[in-house]
Amino acid sequence: MSPAIELANLSKSFVVKSGKGLNRESKEVVAVDAISLEIEEGQSVAFVGPNGAGKSTTIKMLTGILTPSSGEARVLGFVPWKERTRLTRHIGAVFGQRSQLWYHLPPGDTFELLSRIYSLDRDKYRQRRDHLIEIFQMSSYLDTPVRKLSLGQRMRAEVACSLLHFPRVLFLDEPTIGLDVIARQELRELIRNWNRDEGITVFLTSHDAGDIESVAKRVIIINHGRVVLDDRVSSVKRNYLDSKVISVKFREEPSGIDMDGVETLKSSYHSVKLAVDTSLVSIEAVISQVLKAAPVADITIENPSLESIIAHIYNQH
Amino acid sequence: MTGLSKYFYIASTSAKSNVAYLGEVASRVIFLAVILYIFLRLWQVTYAETGASELGGFTLAQMLWYLAVTESIILSAPRITQMVDRDVRTGELAVHLIKPMSYPLYCLGTSMGERVVRFALNLGVGLVIALIFVGPIPLQPLSIACLLLALPLAFVLDFLANFLIGLGAFWLEDTTGLVLIYSRITMILGGMLIPIELFPEAMQSWLRVLPFASIVYGPAKMLVAPSTSALTELLIIQSLGIVGVGALVAIVYGIASRRVFANGG
Amino acid sequence: MAAEIIEKEQPVLSRLRSYLGLVGAYTGFNLKSQWAYRGAFISQMFAMAANNFVWVAFWALFFERFPVLRGWGVKDVITLWAIAATGFGIAHTVCGNALALPWLIARGQLDVWMLYPRALLSHVLLGRMSATACGDTVFGFAVYVLFVRPDLPHFCLFAALSFAVAFLFVGFSILTGSLTFFLGNAEGLAEQWRFSMITFSTYPATLFEGFVKIILYTLIPAAFVSYLPIEALREMSLYYSLLTVLGSLAVLLAGILVFYLGLKRYESGNLTEMRG
Repeated sequence: MSPAIELANLSKSFVVKSGKGLNRESKEVVAVDAISLEIEEGQSVAFVGPNGAGKSTTIKMLTGILTPSSGEARVLGFVPWKERTRLTRHIGAVFGQRSQLWYHLPPGDTFELLSRIYSLDRDKYRQRRDHLIEIFQMSSYLDTPVRKLSLGQRMRAEVACSLLHFPRVLFLDEPTIGLDVIARQELRELIRNWNRDEGITVFLTSHDAGDIESVAKRVIIINHGRVVLDDRVSSVKRNYLDSKVISVKFREEPSGIDMDGVETLKSSYHSVKLAVDTSLVSIEAVISQVLKAAPVADITIENPSLESIIAHIYNQH
Repeated sequence: MTGLSKYFYIASTSAKSNVAYLGEVASRVIFLAVILYIFLRLWQVTYAETGASELGGFTLAQMLWYLAVTESIILSAPRITQMVDRDVRTGELAVHLIKPMSYPLYCLGTSMGERVVRFALNLGVGLVIALIFVGPIPLQPLSIACLLLALPLAFVLDFLANFLIGLGAFWLEDTTGLVLIYSRITMILGGMLIPIELFPEAMQSWLRVLPFASIVYGPAKMLVAPSTSALTELLIIQSLGIVGVGALVAIVYGIASRRVFANGG
Repeated sequence: MAAEIIEKEQPVLSRLRSYLGLVGAYTGFNLKSQWAYRGAFISQMFAMAANNFVWVAFWALFFERFPVLRGWGVKDVITLWAIAATGFGIAHTVCGNALALPWLIARGQLDVWMLYPRALLSHVLLGRMSATACGDTVFGFAVYVLFVRPDLPHFCLFAALSFAVAFLFVGFSILTGSLTFFLGNAEGLAEQWRFSMITFSTYPATLFEGFVKIILYTLIPAAFVSYLPIEALREMSLYYSLLTVLGSLAVLLAGILVFYLGLKRYESGNLTEMRG
């Protein structure tokens, strides 16, 4: 069984011109550097990396928008930039920054239009649409113009639209950006369930560690156009994602916090930054220690940033 | 900065930033060359077929120079209505109302700067093109003086009309329709395409007193047939127009700003 | 897996039907979308129609007074205005995005359209409807019927030629818009070219001769709007009608060619600005 997505030494470089007039300089910038990957059908993959790492360039090549400089790729057996019209029948895409919903019309109308764009059989379309409306709980706002919807409702509609034509691969680019915590969780659950129930291959890019954890089984980290990490989410979680960063500002000089699984990253006058390995120690224990150390003026608890994860990985090698 | 000098400063800043757009120059040249060429052909054919050497007191050469000026005036119009419309809808207007600067005068300042620069550019290009197409016309220093004197009030009057329409944004869903109609009427009744002399006799008398002709036809005619008496008459009509439209603006603006304060912008 | 996906190459006729269905769907939804702001929509339509009417009334009076158009009468000039309006109007009512092409290209918005299993150009053009173009269309037909008072054969020919001219305007919009692929945001030049075309289209080509006339059949194909269709209607001539249609198709093909050439550049990612 051939994989849903395969890349073989896929590369893309751009010629970037800077300066003006006589001082024009041409530089070749390598955005994607000979990436090779295989993704089986039905897998759920997070494709992660800092800005400028080459993520969007790779996705554009996989969806047929960009032609590579060298190398090969196949999605569902099609060469994307050569067979775009045939490939797009079977893939769906949701780009966080760009919408395919018509702004002044209700989402139902966008469904209707999509059914014509994809030349769907009328009965199959209606069945599918009703199924999506039910699962995505859209019946309450199906007839409300999109401009009146909340961002969470809009993103749900957006993802539902991308699934209308029974795609086998779903590309999601920052789908949870700007959403509140609850909306985020709901959307992640929907995508996860869809992946599980329909066996759709999910290709997700995101900056959010939560997205990666909840939706994907496999994570690929890309930096400077190269694959830096390709592993199961569970392993990465164990090594990198099960940590929190706590920043505390005390009112007085705190007594030292010495616990297993807690590492002091930074410490200055009355502030302290701690890295906590939540697989070794519970966050509650750490917090109660912190509160005992001195009266607390301010406290922030965050996930480690992607940059720090990548830096960590480099340090490991 | 004292009162009025503030607005002159705004006008000159706006003027400077407009000169910077040299790409505009190339666009203007092509634009005016196309229009003036079409008019040239139109009038050449008209003069030839009617066998006249003068129409409405204009020779062919004078006609084209006249058209060069009317086109320059029309084409120099900045997008005042759109600016005001946008300020109203985005709430920018409310911000302006708090500042110790009159919003209408501020708009006048910025738009005048733009208008003057664009007009000068258009006129320069337009007259050169006219020169190439039909050669020179008899010009006296009086022609140029009268033309220049006729312009300031013309521009202010045009500004006020556009500003008034822009204020319509408070009540109308869309002002682009209105401004389209206004600019079209100004072009036609203002004599952009043919001088008032060539309109049907019955229309000429009231066309001359309407504000449109005082914005376009009046100044342009000065270049071709200057006369101090005509200039005085023109200035009076322009002033009356300014008083009239100005009063409307004051009333509507008053209602509008009260609305802003009542609704919190 | 690929073997399981059986793609039937659809016969041309059914593809055409599918496309026409798409056109219908888009036009319907575009109208509905415009209707959501019907105040603005109607006022823009009305303003455009009123605008055009005033313009035509003026020129009608002028040519009454100066019958100088070498054989053409006032009715012919009105026909000219009517067909320029209906042609331009139909073009941008249905293919409103033709006008937005420079903007779409410069901002990488073509990407969204490329994700659909449809030929890119014919699809993306449908995405928008110009409200003022609707006004132009209504005006064109109204003025032709009311002031020229055609009989049925003339009206049918007028309608047919309006569609031909519409194809010409779409093609021309594509042609000038596609320059953005090559010139980046040198919209100024393309704007001027477009403006010249529209302006020349509304003045009788009988005014021009020699070198300029040649230009009106080539670089600025206005003669296919301002001369050939009018002659076709004056004489109910198949010959002139065919010339109009051929000219329109030529411009359309030229536009499509330039677009797809530019698209190759877009796909290689080497536009003037590198889109992240």
